[in-house]
Amino acid sequence: MKLIPHRRSRETEIWLRKETLEQNKRYKNIVRQQDALSPKRDRWIADFLERIQTRGVHVHFDQMRKVRPDEIPSKPKRKFRVVF
Amino acid sequence: MARPHIEPFVDRDVSFKKMTLPGFPKGMQYKMLSLDTDDGACTMTVLYEPGYKQPPGMSYAEYELFIQSGSITVGSKTWGPGSYFMVPAGVTLEAMSSPRGATALLFYNYGEPSFVESDTDHAKAERHRFTAVNSYENMQWTSTNFYPATAPGCLVKILKFDQRTQGFTFLYCMTPNFWQDNISYHDCCEEAYHIWGTSWMMQFGDLPTGGYFYRPPYINHGAFASKLGILAIGRTDTQLYNHFHFNPWTNIEENRQRAASRIQHWKPDLYKWINMQGHNHPVDFEHDHGHAHGDTPHHHGDGSVEHKHKKKRRRK
Repeated sequence: MKLIPHRRSRETEIWLRKETLEQNKRYKNIVRQQDALSPKRDRWIADFLERIQTRGVHVHFDQMRKVRPDEIPSKPKRKFRVVF
Repeated sequence: MARPHIEPFVDRDVSFKKMTLPGFPKGMQYKMLSLDTDDGACTMTVLYEPGYKQPPGMSYAEYELFIQSGSITVGSKTWGPGSYFMVPAGVTLEAMSSPRGATALLFYNYGEPSFVESDTDHAKAERHRFTAVNSYENMQWTSTNFYPATAPGCLVKILKFDQRTQGFTFLYCMTPNFWQDNISYHDCCEEAYHIWGTSWMMQFGDLPTGGYFYRPPYINHGAFASKLGILAIGRTDTQLYNHFHFNPWTNIEENRQRAASRIQHWKPDLYKWINMQGHNHPVDFEHDHGHAHGDTPHHHGDGSVEHKHKKKRRRK
């Protein structure tokens, strides 16, 4: 039994509504901050795609393999999101 | 679980608020990290003010408590940083106090926070699942035994493991100069809080001390790095499998498709069986079925696997 059935009080319902609203604001703020990080992220991705061709990509624990140039994916035209 | 993708969020950027929910004693403050808007389950950083006192009592929902700093006294025993409690729903925790104050992480699972004063367990409480351990002093670091595994230098201490879902709660650390060059996603929800240190992820940048994330399934994260190392607590709701790859631009749908395709290749017979059956109610003979109707062979966890109920007639 992970949750014992019970009746929520009115105060609890109000508290949950208030916290939900605050969480919505928090989420929007995160999306805004992450969108602003895009130029830096593009550079990090370019560095990563370079490293996995020279040093390799982790496959399991300390096992790595070098990725061939023809395996490198290209950026799709759609909007790139990291927060869903 | 209906929690949004909260990543990254740093609790040091916001102030504590007084806990005002009915039943909770005065002297407890909190910062909300994430909330399930359906059932009220949530993760909070909490502050027990010096002199905090809580009578014996229980919660309707299972909860986990992890002490970050300071100490609390439960009954006659004092618990310092690193102490972890898993308190099943309805299990009474002895009187608790914090003479000098403490900060902690509080995870309510499956329901909203509640506190009901009581010196006896609820009739439905599963006392045998109660856990209390000081994870800093009484547990040792082990390597992750997943396949495929995270890179060398990521170590864990397993605090809770759910046999049915394989969801677990764990401390983890990254050694100084840890790095892992791949991108990962999982079939489970994952959340984590940085107790100390900063790590970097290619999608989200730096996550410092007090940094937190709640990440729904199939969301890319990584590559990873940490210059000075980190100490963190993490949780999943079901089995954690590392789906590694190196395409930074895949989305949730593509990642889910890939995971399903992999299951098709890894467990072809099971995949085919699930697809071919007329219904999707696989029954585990070690667990109750949870059927709504009971009109297909099933069992009640009593070893009798060929059990049927007649279909209920609907009233006209």
